[in-house]
Amino acid sequence: MKVRFNVVKLLVAAGALAVATGASAQSAGQWAVSVGANQITPKVESGAISAPALPNSLGDVGKDTRPLLLVDYGVTDNITLELPIATPYKHTLYGAGSIAGTGKLGTVEAMPPTLFAQYRFFEPNAMIRPFVGFGITYAYFMKETGSGKMTALTNPGASTPTTFSIDNKWTYSGQIGATVNINEKWIAGASFVKTRLRTDVHFSTGQTQHMKLDPNALMLTVGYKF
Amino acid sequence: MRKTSYALALLTAAVLAACGGNGPRSGDQTFATKFSSQVSFGDSLSDVGTYAVGTVAALGGGKFTINGNNTSINPELTGKNWTELVAAQLSLPAPCAAQTGLQGNASQGFLVPVTLHAGCYNYAQGGARVTNPIGPSNAATGSPLGATTVPVTTQIANHLAKAGGKFKGDELVTVLAGGNDIFELLGELSASATTAGGTALITSLVTQLAPGTANPQAGAAAISAAAQAAAAKGGDATAIITAAITAAAQNGNTSAPANAAAIGAKAGADATTAGLAYQAAHAADLVKAMATAGAELGALVEKQLVGNGANYVLLNNLPDVSLTPSAKAQSADTQKLIAGMVQAFNDQLKAAVGSDPKVLYVDLAAISRDQANNPAPYGLTNITTPACDLSTAKNPLASSLACNGKNLIAGDVSHYLYADTVHPTPFGYALIARYDLEQMAVKGWL
Repeated sequence: MKVRFNVVKLLVAAGALAVATGASAQSAGQWAVSVGANQITPKVESGAISAPALPNSLGDVGKDTRPLLLVDYGVTDNITLELPIATPYKHTLYGAGSIAGTGKLGTVEAMPPTLFAQYRFFEPNAMIRPFVGFGITYAYFMKETGSGKMTALTNPGASTPTTFSIDNKWTYSGQIGATVNINEKWIAGASFVKTRLRTDVHFSTGQTQHMKLDPNALMLTVGYKF
Repeated sequence: MRKTSYALALLTAAVLAACGGNGPRSGDQTFATKFSSQVSFGDSLSDVGTYAVGTVAALGGGKFTINGNNTSINPELTGKNWTELVAAQLSLPAPCAAQTGLQGNASQGFLVPVTLHAGCYNYAQGGARVTNPIGPSNAATGSPLGATTVPVTTQIANHLAKAGGKFKGDELVTVLAGGNDIFELLGELSASATTAGGTALITSLVTQLAPGTANPQAGAAAISAAAQAAAAKGGDATAIITAAITAAAQNGNTSAPANAAAIGAKAGADATTAGLAYQAAHAADLVKAMATAGAELGALVEKQLVGNGANYVLLNNLPDVSLTPSAKAQSADTQKLIAGMVQAFNDQLKAAVGSDPKVLYVDLAAISRDQANNPAPYGLTNITTPACDLSTAKNPLASSLACNGKNLIAGDVSHYLYADTVHPTPFGYALIARYDLEQMAVKGWL
């Protein structure tokens, strides 16, 4: 029962805050902070691992979902800057093509910080505000982690395990979504983001692999306007 | 302003939380299956030093590849074959030969007592066949090397005797054999065809020369005797023809010496035709013999390995021997015959093991063909030339068995496929190891 009491207290506090500031919905000069989740699904078109390799040794990359913090700032009533912040996304790398079925070969953590500029339709206090956005993205890869299988497939029997690194890239993202003004202070949002992302994997064996990742992202959030 | 600061503080905290040590790392190098040991049966392709004794060792050889750690010349020149690379990848001890020794010519340093090594489980021997104890370079073939060529069937029996009749079940058991059955069968066919050709040569000479002699019946006997005497002395076709013509002239065929060239040419053509006819007539027998050998190896895998408790049998089929420099030096018909022998062997081998979940049948034949058709992605720079200098001066054995970093041909041979006319370089072996490990991963063993 204690939890429930706390929730009530929170809601009362939130309501009080809403009354106290009395600002209009996501208008010029206004900040909003939302929390939610973001799922990133790479749409992989893999190049082959360069020689020496079994011809057509391709790769695939799994999806990952992380909690999301979304910070919005209204530049004007219709133009908003949005910065999604999340803990790193952990993606699993799998063999594909001629090495399909070899399973998990490695993992990589990715941070794709993106600053979006959005155009939000309708009045700030409209119940539903669709928007389109364009973002500058820096795709940052880290903690690239190999495996026994990766070593076996790239440098069998080697005394040093194979490691790999993925090139970080500046790129861009397109966004389409909508926010719902639940009330004066609370908003819900959903958006779909498509990022153009082509990068190269460099193995410690000297082999390389070009990867077209072009990830889709789906963000669902609930937020509060300050 | 207060709220703005709060939002910025949140942002800063999140960014900070995301930072930390973030470079590449090797990750977990262990595998799903923890093998206790690696037990290998087969021939030179898996041999880790059965003959690394006496003069072979003195020549810096012992394995059928570019011997020795020459990674200072090129990182690919590890001197290791695929069994060693697979064992290293699985964190198992380096394989060692279960038996060493040679039974050849003592004066050449090829007579070294056969020794059994209790803690070693690589039974593969250069020259070994599936069931026949006489393989290439065995003393019984007249070879001064005197390779022991213990066949796979006996290799397995030796291991079972050592291990108490059973596998524990957590060994990786590797099998790769069949190549020497091809070489011995071809050698036998070639010897028989040569005999048939020799007989035809003399018959042709007699048929052409006897009618011109004073007494054709006596003349035929004299010509035949002279030709056979020349053949028995080890004379070549020219010596035999010369002897026959001389005998014919002595027996009254006065035109024989003048027509020697034409007579010799016809006799030679008749001999070649007869030899080829013999080969063609008996080619099917060789394909059949290889089918039998394939079925025998498959039965050994099922009955003696799986049947005695082996749960992980890595069964490599026979690579396409028709693509080796050795085969490429032969006629197109012989290459076709070899390809057919490989196919017959592998078909029977595959059929014998069926879909046994304890056997991983790896199609090295397909990979060897793909390497020949498409070498670049494999990293191969040459698939036809032996990397070893096989001239007698540089390599007294004319084999990769005595090849090392000091008797290679000129240039960078690190990514050549073949060390000699049959055996892979360490790079070629690494390609086998990689494919075996890939197939083990797909099978769920890694």
